[in-house]
Amino acid sequence: MVKYLAKRVANYCVMLFVAISLTYFLASAFMDPRSNYMTRNPRPPMASINRALDNANINDQTPILIRYWRWLTGIVTRWDWGKAPDQSSVSDAIVSRMGASLQLVTLATILSIVIGVSIGVYTAIRQYKWQDRVLNSIATFLYVIPAAVLAVGVVFFAIEINTVAGERLFFVTGLHAYQGDNFGEWFVDFLQHLILPTISMTLGGTVGYHLTQRTYLLDEMNADYVRTARAKGLTLNKAIRRHALRNSLIPTAQSVAFSIAGVFTGATITESVFAINGLGRYFVTTISQNDINGTVAIAAFSGVCTLVGALLADIFAAWLDPRIRLN
Amino acid sequence: MAETLNENELELATDKTLSDDENRAQRLGNVDDMSVDDTSKSAGSTEIHRTGRMTLYIRRFMRRPSAVVGLVILGLLILWAMFGRFLTPYDYSNLDFAALGVPPNAEHYFGTTDGGGDVYAMVVHGLGRSLTIAFISSILSTIIAAIYGVGIAYFEGFVEKAGMWLLDMLLVVPSTLLIAILVRSAGGTSGWAWLVFGLTIFGWVGLARVLRTVTMSIRERDYVRAAKFMGVKPLTVIVRHLIPNLGSVLVINTVLGVVSTVSSETTLSFLGLGIKAPDVSLGTILNEGQSVIVTQPWVLAIPALVLIILAFSVQLIGDGLRDAIDPYSRSGGKAA
Repeated sequence: MVKYLAKRVANYCVMLFVAISLTYFLASAFMDPRSNYMTRNPRPPMASINRALDNANINDQTPILIRYWRWLTGIVTRWDWGKAPDQSSVSDAIVSRMGASLQLVTLATILSIVIGVSIGVYTAIRQYKWQDRVLNSIATFLYVIPAAVLAVGVVFFAIEINTVAGERLFFVTGLHAYQGDNFGEWFVDFLQHLILPTISMTLGGTVGYHLTQRTYLLDEMNADYVRTARAKGLTLNKAIRRHALRNSLIPTAQSVAFSIAGVFTGATITESVFAINGLGRYFVTTISQNDINGTVAIAAFSGVCTLVGALLADIFAAWLDPRIRLN
Repeated sequence: MAETLNENELELATDKTLSDDENRAQRLGNVDDMSVDDTSKSAGSTEIHRTGRMTLYIRRFMRRPSAVVGLVILGLLILWAMFGRFLTPYDYSNLDFAALGVPPNAEHYFGTTDGGGDVYAMVVHGLGRSLTIAFISSILSTIIAAIYGVGIAYFEGFVEKAGMWLLDMLLVVPSTLLIAILVRSAGGTSGWAWLVFGLTIFGWVGLARVLRTVTMSIRERDYVRAAKFMGVKPLTVIVRHLIPNLGSVLVINTVLGVVSTVSSETTLSFLGLGIKAPDVSLGTILNEGQSVIVTQPWVLAIPALVLIILAFSVQLIGDGLRDAIDPYSRSGGKAA
């Protein structure tokens, strides 16, 4: 088991290294930080443009392999992920944005798993009854709505409610507005900000878990071992809870583990719509500012999250189903 | 049991529904072969009136009202995107300075934006743009995925291992990020072609994994082995024998791929990383509408509505197709 995991981790490290290096070359080939300076009016002198680009190690006049080597040694020896075109440090920018992402995403993820799986089980037990049909139609409808539309839709309704109520019940930008140090007021303010982005993220996540969990449980419910359990005299509810549910949770547990990858960067749309300074929004900023080092750092970060998720999914599956051996 | 262990072995997949798709795909793959066997057996008795597989699929599809509704809606949307611009004198890029931010009226059917752009003309053009991008890249990435996925499964051994490693590697970095990097330097008018390129070359990976799994059962069939021993070239075996047997899986994935591609295109354009200024797509109109949500809600509501109708109609078609091609289909019909 330990040997297997060690082998897998080693393989993932190689994978990560190749993927990030490819991203670095891709970003260097297609992003043009020089244009940030060339479009300025008046244009700064050539020498100072070059000095700024050299300092951040993104000068397109330096051969790409030399830049790559400098970038790599910087990370390996000093854990320095480089600089943005405006000379600010990429590592600092990422660390300072992690907190906001974490606050935003944790609650939404937990809520979507709990609500989604519960609804999935509820509807699977009542297959083709009216509860199942109603919930399924709603879910299918929400499932096809693009995330951007969903998020702005939530904003739209919140503003309507604010107008009707005559005061600001919901805030549609940022995570905090309260400046004082009264904890109670700070918390209420935080909730007022958090509730809308959470709703918009939870809706999308819940629907996904609901539809997949329903399918998995329905597949298991027709299995022979559930019929045996029923024949032994277990009630339907008990047979499902004791036998079918555990097996049907395996794929769900895996997708939960994989969703860790999206936890940090998957909130891009929500963060943009609600103006929250998290990693998702940082990713958009780095791309539009031709920040090669920042983009690659974000790619590396989400790559690590993806692989950790994959590893966890592996372990989850082995834990839920003893027949699966990790070797 | 060895096979089960192999399947349960954790594979990298960012798509939540992937394993679901794989199951379904496998089921479809198996049964397709069954129907192939059936036709070859009954081929001798010609006096019996046979229903071809295609006819059967079309009949089953047409029997499902929701699928037909989806098809009609999609057809109307495509026609509207092609010919809708003849219904208005305004162009999506021309600004009407006499009407800034006016609500929908007889002159401007869907109102205008802050700058005087005609929302009707923009939505028609944007819908056409989004549809073009979605269809082209969905078809192209299915082709790439089919050749790659089936290819690595056919050659087995080292090729398959290396091929899978490459697929896993491509899933490590989110494709949205890679596409955004590619499209970054593209200009306004050629931007959509770059977007098609990006969505295609990073969009085929997930499907290739599914197709490899399905092919693993088909490659053991006798007709594949026979072709191999006759000395047929690998590429011919793949194109003539393996891919046609995946037809149903490919069709469904292409159709559903349109929904996911529209969704990624809108997302990228909405974030300002996809289609750019002189050009217009549904995502860019949404982005524009987001800032005037209170004062000019029509700029946001109309493209959002069009987008939802589009996604819903394609989803209905996809469900209908899945049901028509699924051998356990309950769409039985009454006439013999």
